[in-house]
Amino acid sequence: MNTSPVKVNSLRSDLRLAWELTRGSDRGEWWRVTLTATGAALATGFALAAVVLASLRGSYDVPYATGLLDEPGTRSGVIVGLLLLLVPVLGFLGQCARIGAVHRDRRLAGLRLAGATPWQVRRIAALETGLAALLGSAVATVFSVLLLLRVWGRPNALAWLGIALVAVAVPVLGAVAGALALRRVVASPLGWVRRLGPRGGRGPGLLFLAGVLIVAVMALLAVATTSTAAPNRPNGELPLQLMGVVLAVGAGAVWLSGATAKATGRILAVRARSAATLIAAERLRDDPWSAARTHAAVLLVTVVGTGFMGIRQVLSDVVHTSRNLAEPASYYTTGLDLTGAAVVIAFAITLSGLAVGTAESLATRRRGLAAQAAAGVPRSVLGRALLLETALPLAPAVLLAGLGGIAIGAWYALLGDRPVPWAIALVPLAVYAACLLAAATSLPLLRRSVRPGELRYA
Amino acid sequence: MSKPVPLLSASGLTKTHGRTPALRGASVGLHAGEILAVTGASGSGKSTLLHCLAGIVRPDEGSVTYDGRRLEELPEKRLSELRRTEFGVVFQFGQLIPELTALDNVALPLLLAGTDRAGARARAGEWLERFGVRGQQDLRPGEMSGGQAQRAALARALVTGPRVVFADEPTGALDSLSGEQVMTALVHAARESGTAVLLITHDAQVAAYADREVQLRDGVVAPLGVTA
Amino acid sequence: MLGMSTRHILLGLLASGPSHGYDLKRRHDDRFPQARPLAYGQVYTTLQRLVRDGLAEVQGTDSDGGPERTMYRATDDGTHELSRWAAEIAPPAPFVANEIFAKVVVAILSGGDPAAYLSAQRAAHMERMRELTAVKAAKAADLATVLSADYALNHLDADLRWMSTTAARLTTLTAEVDAV
Repeated sequence: MNTSPVKVNSLRSDLRLAWELTRGSDRGEWWRVTLTATGAALATGFALAAVVLASLRGSYDVPYATGLLDEPGTRSGVIVGLLLLLVPVLGFLGQCARIGAVHRDRRLAGLRLAGATPWQVRRIAALETGLAALLGSAVATVFSVLLLLRVWGRPNALAWLGIALVAVAVPVLGAVAGALALRRVVASPLGWVRRLGPRGGRGPGLLFLAGVLIVAVMALLAVATTSTAAPNRPNGELPLQLMGVVLAVGAGAVWLSGATAKATGRILAVRARSAATLIAAERLRDDPWSAARTHAAVLLVTVVGTGFMGIRQVLSDVVHTSRNLAEPASYYTTGLDLTGAAVVIAFAITLSGLAVGTAESLATRRRGLAAQAAAGVPRSVLGRALLLETALPLAPAVLLAGLGGIAIGAWYALLGDRPVPWAIALVPLAVYAACLLAAATSLPLLRRSVRPGELRYA
Repeated sequence: MSKPVPLLSASGLTKTHGRTPALRGASVGLHAGEILAVTGASGSGKSTLLHCLAGIVRPDEGSVTYDGRRLEELPEKRLSELRRTEFGVVFQFGQLIPELTALDNVALPLLLAGTDRAGARARAGEWLERFGVRGQQDLRPGEMSGGQAQRAALARALVTGPRVVFADEPTGALDSLSGEQVMTALVHAARESGTAVLLITHDAQVAAYADREVQLRDGVVAPLGVTA
Repeated sequence: MLGMSTRHILLGLLASGPSHGYDLKRRHDDRFPQARPLAYGQVYTTLQRLVRDGLAEVQGTDSDGGPERTMYRATDDGTHELSRWAAEIAPPAPFVANEIFAKVVVAILSGGDPAAYLSAQRAAHMERMRELTAVKAAKAADLATVLSADYALNHLDADLRWMSTTAARLTTLTAEVDAV
């Protein structure tokens, strides 16, 4: 019955519908498309770099990063680092998916009510996300390939295969994630059309966890396949162990961030003395998982960042005091600097995700916020509540992640029989402060959100 | 015949949203303890008039006087305080914070005014009792029926003992029986405490709860029932 | 409500036990607070007709210290007639006498001001609705009072809505009436 011309036809009409719906939608949707494409471009870029490096076998003479990419062992470390960068990108994409989500869910539920089949709605949603991801991945692929051809005249077949795989996989995964995220809308169209205001009840970011898992498996595979040729390296197993620690702490971080949000909400809701704390606490209790994805990425960055700072301290200590190094000192410092840059990039992406998430949470609630302001709730109270929503659950979680990072640093120091670099305890503090600043970037948006104009639309 | 000075009055208000004029010189007065209905077709400027009178929106022209003070001369901070302490607002829906329980929603204005949590909750409970929704005090707005949520909203609007309550289509989302309960509760509470009510509605049966009615037509107050 | 069924309402009041004219009037006015109060004369004429038709009968007299009063009670025929009437559906307004519409048309025909008339009529309707609402919203109001006030309010509201749409369409109506 389902002959292929019909399929092509319906796909084309879905595509047109998806395009029309996106074109006719408001600014929020365009933000989602733009930011999703940006996130997809970043993901593609990191994945492409990792794949191309992974296609190398044995020793090469790569004229970059002072020989860090020459040997399989260090190369696999770089690959893992690149893949780990995908984690904050996933967190960022997760926040992007929330932009205009209420509006989009209602629109797609409207399609269901108008007689679209669940599959059609899923396809349209998948196309919307997939096209944005395709845009990002296409741009990133084109530029990466151009760059690659300049530095590496004739890439091998494996590299080309990897590039093709990544370029296709990013939009496909984006489309699948888009379709999966809609399962409730598809299941009960009426519920979503009628629903007023945002509601929680999301799981602990299942898609995010799945994404992290994929990254982890890929990283382990990369290490396993590329570092076998380096049995002479002393700490050949170190990356694996580090990975294990980071993943364990990371998985704990997602759960911890949700759980602390819930617990903080419950405890504070009862004891809150001020209006701002009360509002923030009840919002956390109501939907503790909404920010878990970004917060989990924050925690991962905290662990990695703190741990890295510890390792860096110890290593540069070693590099500068030891006489008998196998490689020139710049070899080691470049490695450290590269890793540092990766951590900083990851942190920047995570902070963007946090800012986007806060802004979105404001945009979704703007009518309610306008009503509160109309009733005389001072804007400062609303602003404080907004910041507390980020600050409260993050505090215990960052503390624990910081401790984890310090433990990594201390462990490494003890391994090398060096003094423990306690200064790294400042890293979690800095992370926490930066997160509050990122959340604070949406305060100007609050001012615009509480306009009385918002009261005029039901 | 000299009338007492109105508690709240507007004269010559104009307000344009983008290119659409909402008010074109509307004047109206609300006396202390009076329940005044503002009626009119949709788009006649009712809500904008309420927003101007409550100090939520600043009119383009004209002035609003409350108790001898001209609202256009007050900074936003003072206006916000005025709305919090001397005014109460009830909208069609959305004025309750979805994440707070009914009790905490009603206690919120008291918390903002500096009352301690326990005291605020106790007084909020009394008001919920008064509006017959004490049994729902631990529910969130989304878990209550529309009528119960609106009665909780009334409690929130009245808990600080305001002198004016602004109600914008308070029964707009309710069936007629729930609407009747909400209106009866509002009118009784306002009469007992001497609170003036500015009631925006398009429904004559709701307007009939008021002492007086003004009709808005195309952004101005239409003369009522005056035969030419 | 009155003209059509005073006899049935009185029969209904008699269903709860024998009663005399004054008592029936008082109970009627209590039960139907928003209806026009019954006149004594009407109560007695109606009771006599009920007796004549065999639907009620005189049970005796009762002085109770005051003036002597005739007690009535329903007959079996009366009880049957009552249940037949109660089960009969009311015809859904086959001919609505619309005085307001007539006046609007006359105003147009005679070159008057139908808009001003509608506006004044609306004000009068609103005034009556406020009175009824005050009766209904009073704390002591019982359910019977509320329901009968509601009935009147809904009818007045229907008039009002009709007047609003008519006022908005007066130009077209004027053109149509003048063209005929």
